[in-house]
Amino acid sequence: MTPEAIRLDHVSLWRRTQEEFSYDLKKTLFSLLQGKYTKPAKKQVLNDINLVVNPGEKIGIIGSNGAGKSTLLKLICGILDPTEGKVRVRGNIAPLIELGAGFNMNLSVRDNIILYGVLLGYSKQEMLTRTLDILNFAELNDYADMPVKSLSSGMKARLGFTVATDTEPDILILDEVLSVGDAKFARKSRQRIDHLWEKSSTILFVSHSLEYIDDLCDRAIWLNQGKIAFQGETKEAIDLYLSHLDVKEYTHNN
Amino acid sequence: MSIVHYQLSIILITEFEGTISPKSAGVRYNANYEFCFSLFMIIARKKTLEIWEKSPVWKDVKRYWELLSVLVPQNLKVRYRGSLLGIYWSLLNPIIMTVLYSTIFGTTFASYYDDSITNYVLAAVNGLLVVNFFNASTTQALVSIVESGDLLNKIKLPIPVFPMSMIGANIFQFMVGSFPLLAIVTLVKTHSLFSVILLLLPFSLLIVVCTGISLFVSSLYVFFRDLSYFYEIATFVAWITSPVFYPPDIVPEAVKPFINLNPLVPVIQIFRQVSLEGRFPESIYLIHGFCSGIIILTLGWLFVRRVQSAFMDLL
Repeated sequence: MTPEAIRLDHVSLWRRTQEEFSYDLKKTLFSLLQGKYTKPAKKQVLNDINLVVNPGEKIGIIGSNGAGKSTLLKLICGILDPTEGKVRVRGNIAPLIELGAGFNMNLSVRDNIILYGVLLGYSKQEMLTRTLDILNFAELNDYADMPVKSLSSGMKARLGFTVATDTEPDILILDEVLSVGDAKFARKSRQRIDHLWEKSSTILFVSHSLEYIDDLCDRAIWLNQGKIAFQGETKEAIDLYLSHLDVKEYTHNN
Repeated sequence: MSIVHYQLSIILITEFEGTISPKSAGVRYNANYEFCFSLFMIIARKKTLEIWEKSPVWKDVKRYWELLSVLVPQNLKVRYRGSLLGIYWSLLNPIIMTVLYSTIFGTTFASYYDDSITNYVLAAVNGLLVVNFFNASTTQALVSIVESGDLLNKIKLPIPVFPMSMIGANIFQFMVGSFPLLAIVTLVKTHSLFSVILLLLPFSLLIVVCTGISLFVSSLYVFFRDLSYFYEIATFVAWITSPVFYPPDIVPEAVKPFINLNPLVPVIQIFRQVSLEGRFPESIYLIHGFCSGIIILTLGWLFVRRVQSAFMDLL
């Protein structure tokens, strides 16, 4: 039996709501002095999530905005720690959440490739040897020494995509980033994803494009208000999700 | 799991060290034995090295090193935009300050410095460079975690690396800008290259102190974004309580213990003893400096570890 790539046991997450927190030493001190200090409120974002992903599985995650999809991915990436329960992940993860977050706008494209790569966990040496490949794939050779802020947003997305997918991670996390750039690059990036797909890396894929999910994933998870409402057959998950939306719309209209 | 592994490796290392000390066992050993012993030492060392390389601590150290090796140059590049000469601009402030204070206080305080204004000026430069390093590095580190909030929300990264990268950038800046100045002063005063090298001792103390404080204040800043106002006051206190432009002797006896709470005081004294008097620093300052440095660093580190789980909800 192969060990599971990702395993979540009874995972719950409570987060502090940012609006209620004062961020203010002066105010906090005064409220303490006046005895009005209240502990910041917390809200449950994920509720008793149980999930097992085997190596090579492609899993789609669907759900409406705020259902906790991105939060779930962050937990799996290790960015957030669960309040209760246990998250176990085997293998290295390449997160592809909102491309280009790691870029420093004032540095050159070349420097950024190395910076981003090292942030993602590769060594500097490794990144130096891979820079050229990355520039080639992203078609940014002519821009190598220009600051990233001079690139168009499409080019930035291309750069982020290329750096993150340049090696073959064991687990790839995709948050709405299947096609980036112009039509030509979108095709290329799609090919690369297909390649990673075939290489049987485990993929977690969040998208609002249900067609993509239906097309690409073996299994789907429908998250609703921080809970797994359904996990299993992709088609069934999508149908359930859609009918749930219909019901909601129906009750709303009446 | 990983903690068990780490503890295991520690036990192995200590066991190796425990079994390879013939002297402590009271064995009278000859040359032959010595050879065997050194061979054994080499093998044992290799073994411990292998264990060490596999340990999670080593991995952490390597990860920190990799991250710092890209983050520090990034900080510097953004700051100086291709012209390293910019670093010398940062010397402008201490030089003007020294000139100013020397003209105003120089004649009054010269009697404490063997009646020499030059000595006063040189002591002032020493102190000023220390306080400047402290102010610049910790103030820049203060906002470093919050500024990396976007990044921390996308990629899992060790949080202490961000204040540390600010310290790193300032170390580079010090070595290129201030250190040559100190080295010249030292050479002129002591004619000894050893003293110049010895300057690295108080400097490393300074780095330890600044890192500890940076870890602490940058974590606190995540919770309290108006901290920079309070921190300005704190740096001003550190600045006034450091004997930079006044001789430490003028401080009333009753106040001295409080002044000594300032961790920069021993650092400045060690700097002066090495660079102006050309002697090995007095042990009282060394002990004072090292103890406060280690305590501050440990507390800073523990504080980040303790509160960092709450960071992600606030960034």
